[in-house]
Amino acid sequence: MEYILQFVALIAVIVGTMFSILGVVGLIRLPDVYTRLHATGKVGLFGVVLLLIGDVVFTPLGLSKGLALIVLLMIGGPATSHALASAAYRSGIPMKQAIRDDLKEKIES
Amino acid sequence: MIETVLIYTLNLSLAIHIALIAVCVWRVGRGENLIDRLIGLDMTATLILAVLVLVSFISQDVIYIDIALALAALGFIGTIALARYIADQEMF
Repeated sequence: MEYILQFVALIAVIVGTMFSILGVVGLIRLPDVYTRLHATGKVGLFGVVLLLIGDVVFTPLGLSKGLALIVLLMIGGPATSHALASAAYRSGIPMKQAIRDDLKEKIES
Repeated sequence: MIETVLIYTLNLSLAIHIALIAVCVWRVGRGENLIDRLIGLDMTATLILAVLVLVSFISQDVIYIDIALALAALGFIGTIALARYIADQEMF
């Protein structure tokens, strides 16, 4: 049983670190504010939540605090990304390589 | 044996996250526009949260989870208030 919990914690830490690395690579390499938001939204959800799952599994002492932090992150991360994308669109930052803009037609009509 | 592997993996992950924080701070300085820098600040707060969780994991101490909880709430409020200020020129 001890071995299984340690193995789960190891897998969770490795996958969470890979999500963090991919998010920062996306922050540097992607061409646009909106696509960068798509990349960095993954770090707050999958990266930190997987690290917290490993922590909670390995040390059951902080179970309730860890679960409260997971719930806070799962509510707050998408809300932050949505607020930033809405602010970028309303302050008129252009989209690169965009083919069509449905929101503009909807606002004008 | 797997415990040794886990300890090495945790220390390596801590080093990787600290390097990623340095990259995000560089990105805040060299961003293209205001929203881009704000994304870099939000990312820095999230990665500091990950570092606190990893330190709590390594030292087997629950007090760092409390600090991470407060940092998550404050970063959430601060980023949303700044985004609303940039969009509408008023904060509340």
